[in-house]
Amino acid sequence: MLSTIVFLPLVGAILVLIAGGRGDRSDREPLVRNIALAASLVTFAATLLLWWRFDPASALYQFEERYAWIPAFGIDYSIGVDGISLFLIVLTGFLTPIALLSSWESVHKNVKAFSAFVLALETAMLGVFVAIDLFLFYVFWDAMLIPMYFLIGVWGYERRIYAAVKFILYTMAGSVLMLVAIIGLAYVYAGTNPAGTPSFNLLDLYGLTLSWQMEMWFFIAFALAFAIKVPIFPFHTWLPDAHVEAPTAGSIILAGVLLKMGTYGLLRFAFPLFPNAALYFAPVLGVLAVIGIIYGALVAMVQPDMKKLVAYSSVSHLGFVVLGLAAMNVQGVQGSVYQMLNHGVSTGGLFMMVGMLSDRRHTRLISEFGGLKAVMPRLVTAFLLITLSSIALPGMNGFIGEFLILIGAFRWQTWLTAVAATGVILSAVYMLWMFQRVNYGPLTNAKNHSLPDLSPREWGLVVPIVAMAILMGVVPGIFLRPMEPSVNRIIERVTGGEAVRAKLNEVAVPSAAPTPPGPAGGPALNADAKGSGAVGGGNDND
Amino acid sequence: MTDFAAIIPIVIVVLSACAAMLAEAFRQPGERMRIDGLGLIGLVGAAIASCYLWNTDARSFGVVRADNFALFVNLILCLIGVLTMLFSDEVVEREQIPPGEYYALTLFGISGMMLMASATDLLVIFLALEILSLSVYVLTGIRRSSLAGAEAAFKYFLLGSFSSAFFLYGVAFAFFIAGSTRLDDLSVALSRQGAGPPDMLALLAVGFLAIGFAFKVSAVPFHMWTPDAYEGAPTIVTAFMSTAVKAAAFAAFVRVFLSPLEPLRDQWIPVLSVIAVATMILGTVVGVLQTNVKRMLAYSSIAHAGYIMLGIIATTNTGKAAVLFYLLAYAVTNIGALGIVALLGTAQEPHDELRDFAGLWNSRPALAGLMTVFLLSLGGFPPTAGFIGKWYIFSAAVERGHYWLAIIGVLTSVISVFFYLRIVVMMYMTEGPEMVRPRVPATAMAGLALATFAVIYLGVLPTRVLALALESITTIF
Repeated sequence: MLSTIVFLPLVGAILVLIAGGRGDRSDREPLVRNIALAASLVTFAATLLLWWRFDPASALYQFEERYAWIPAFGIDYSIGVDGISLFLIVLTGFLTPIALLSSWESVHKNVKAFSAFVLALETAMLGVFVAIDLFLFYVFWDAMLIPMYFLIGVWGYERRIYAAVKFILYTMAGSVLMLVAIIGLAYVYAGTNPAGTPSFNLLDLYGLTLSWQMEMWFFIAFALAFAIKVPIFPFHTWLPDAHVEAPTAGSIILAGVLLKMGTYGLLRFAFPLFPNAALYFAPVLGVLAVIGIIYGALVAMVQPDMKKLVAYSSVSHLGFVVLGLAAMNVQGVQGSVYQMLNHGVSTGGLFMMVGMLSDRRHTRLISEFGGLKAVMPRLVTAFLLITLSSIALPGMNGFIGEFLILIGAFRWQTWLTAVAATGVILSAVYMLWMFQRVNYGPLTNAKNHSLPDLSPREWGLVVPIVAMAILMGVVPGIFLRPMEPSVNRIIERVTGGEAVRAKLNEVAVPSAAPTPPGPAGGPALNADAKGSGAVGGGNDND
Repeated sequence: MTDFAAIIPIVIVVLSACAAMLAEAFRQPGERMRIDGLGLIGLVGAAIASCYLWNTDARSFGVVRADNFALFVNLILCLIGVLTMLFSDEVVEREQIPPGEYYALTLFGISGMMLMASATDLLVIFLALEILSLSVYVLTGIRRSSLAGAEAAFKYFLLGSFSSAFFLYGVAFAFFIAGSTRLDDLSVALSRQGAGPPDMLALLAVGFLAIGFAFKVSAVPFHMWTPDAYEGAPTIVTAFMSTAVKAAAFAAFVRVFLSPLEPLRDQWIPVLSVIAVATMILGTVVGVLQTNVKRMLAYSSIAHAGYIMLGIIATTNTGKAAVLFYLLAYAVTNIGALGIVALLGTAQEPHDELRDFAGLWNSRPALAGLMTVFLLSLGGFPPTAGFIGKWYIFSAAVERGHYWLAIIGVLTSVISVFFYLRIVVMMYMTEGPEMVRPRVPATAMAGLALATFAVIYLGVLPTRVLALALESITTIF
């Protein structure tokens, strides 16, 4: 079932290519669009079915599939879903049709190839979230760059080529080092088992005990790849370029799903594979995350371009996600996973709204707008709701995520969290200020006088996003409950056996090497995490 | 009769080369004769013969050994040859290359390469090296009207003769140590020396042989001829020699360095490591500066030689198998990419500058798409052959703890992605002037389809071929 979901979009892409005929035929455009949309909607329905059949009580991988792929190297085609990846899969399924539909009017150049690339991208994204085998994960992770590169480079705005090349080189530079670390890990495993065969299976590799040196270097290699993807400050410089130059569909997917791969990777691979190094470096990540929160917010505030503003707001929001992960306690991690989903919905929605405005006016400059409320009341209402969701108004999705993250982080590093919390205020400042300048005030620009309000197609885009934002804000339990066992399992894996491993490390690393001290207050935190148990339910109805 | 078994594939190719010469003799001036068909028959025959010899470990005259290693390389060479033949007909006509000489020399070259892969005697390796080199020198300058071609051929020939002399000098030292030029005798002689500092003469032999091989695989600092020769030669010849010569030279490199010279590996690993690092870095960094696609691919082939050397440096079974797999992956990829460049050019307009690719997606979407597949494979993106090849090579390096070599390897491959993508940017993202693109005949399309299929197949389902590569090295070393 899972493989079907992953490769369904790819089948759609092939159908699109066949249906599109030779060359760039504009008469086949509607056909191509409808096939692509249908394929993405079927995929979304399938992901919902997956959610329906998912057992929320289990922490283990479900719907597992495993076939030998390259047996000589212990590489399997091994996929599965747990509570953390489940919702990222649903999110991917949710955002892809929106991305396709949002480019209905704006993309006319070779729609066939455009739709095929979006669908191929969806397969690669789904593959990243379901892979249990590290080799398979890397294949999807790297393969995903190609369609995104084309989406930015061919259908983007003026500086698209620069942005596309920067995107692919930045991401690749980080991920190839991870490849070396993955191979290294597999061979360390080969050294521990009698048969001497390496393994790339995540569950096998979880069981490894590494020397501190090795753990540290491997963690750095993994964390760097993911940090570039997230992006964590100071590796974020590719993001504004890529976001701004990408077509609307590209921005929605980039912000909605691609960035989550970085945080997902940290949570799924970097932290549990190298728990000691992760705890050792967690304060560094936390500080960088907080710098990112503040820096992203401040830079967003002064942007004249709406798309760039939203792009920098992503840096800020993702900083919260990383902060929650670095805290490595139940609230922090749950909040982070929840915030990944929120950010996908609300920032994807914001890019969509900006896309609608720029479809109408072919500009994204804030100063070109003003007083839109009088012309397009419905569009502005939708814009307002999505903006509020992005700045985490209670009752909207963003609030639950940020609140959980801040609780979690507060129990870990009080002062850091206090600084991070100002990011919440700053986000209200830049978002509301932008909203005000675009939509309120007098209608000064004559070009804005006769803009059409939401078309039926745009209603179809806005309603699901807003509905999802409110749903996630009002009943977070349906999302938090299934992810809880898996989150607990990862936290236990990272912080649980700390005492045991500390002993092992003393044996493995004689006095000379720096033994990992763990973060300040590690043991206390550890005890807390165990004591608090189920969280999430209590914070539901604020 | 059994004495001849091991050379059957080589003989078949030689016969087809002779047939090509005869055909040329009967060709009326101006008549277009499908000599490429003769080549195809010979190469497919050689491939079938190689399959029959699989696992037989046939030997001929004590100096040629058709073990699975040699046969695997034979199959790579046959595949390269078949692809070259498929692309050739139209290109030879269009670029006014004399067809009889072209096909005969290509086929003789392949026979020399096959001999090089299966030779177990240093003198026979030298003989094979000369057969293939002479063919390739002439092929480089086969367009007599082209000044660049003449310059390239002359440069290649001069530097090539030097390197052959070095190689021969190395053979002489080896003969002094072992009293024989056979690899197994050399192996016995060197292992008898046992522990302790190795003999000075042995080191000299290793050094000179290494120079000879490094020249043929175009490793830094013996790469000087590569960009000029690749740019000056007709593109189809560049496609052929960048893949086939490399395959044959690396086959002999592996056979000589990883069996008889392996006892001295503590001495040669550091040297080869330095060469490999320099090769990877120079190939990619200088490649970034190129604006001519053929020259760019020439530097890329230098960089790929560096990656393949990592497999030799690893000295493990994984490393040897990785070399074989990488040679295959590189062959199908590079010949596809250069084949497309060749198919786009005409005698007057070579169309091999970067800007000539502008807007190819609009005028020839299929060619642009296939070119993209090949370039992504050269850059090492999944799911293509290039990715599996790189992964395999770097695995071999990491397995032996050569983390730094692997890290330099992956970082340089990121740099190389930059210049491969420049072509993609041109094809897809830049509007080009309206340009008459020559037609692509059906045989060439079949060749491109075959190469693309191989690239994707090796990238998605490499299991069988990886197993074959592993199998073919375990039987001999």
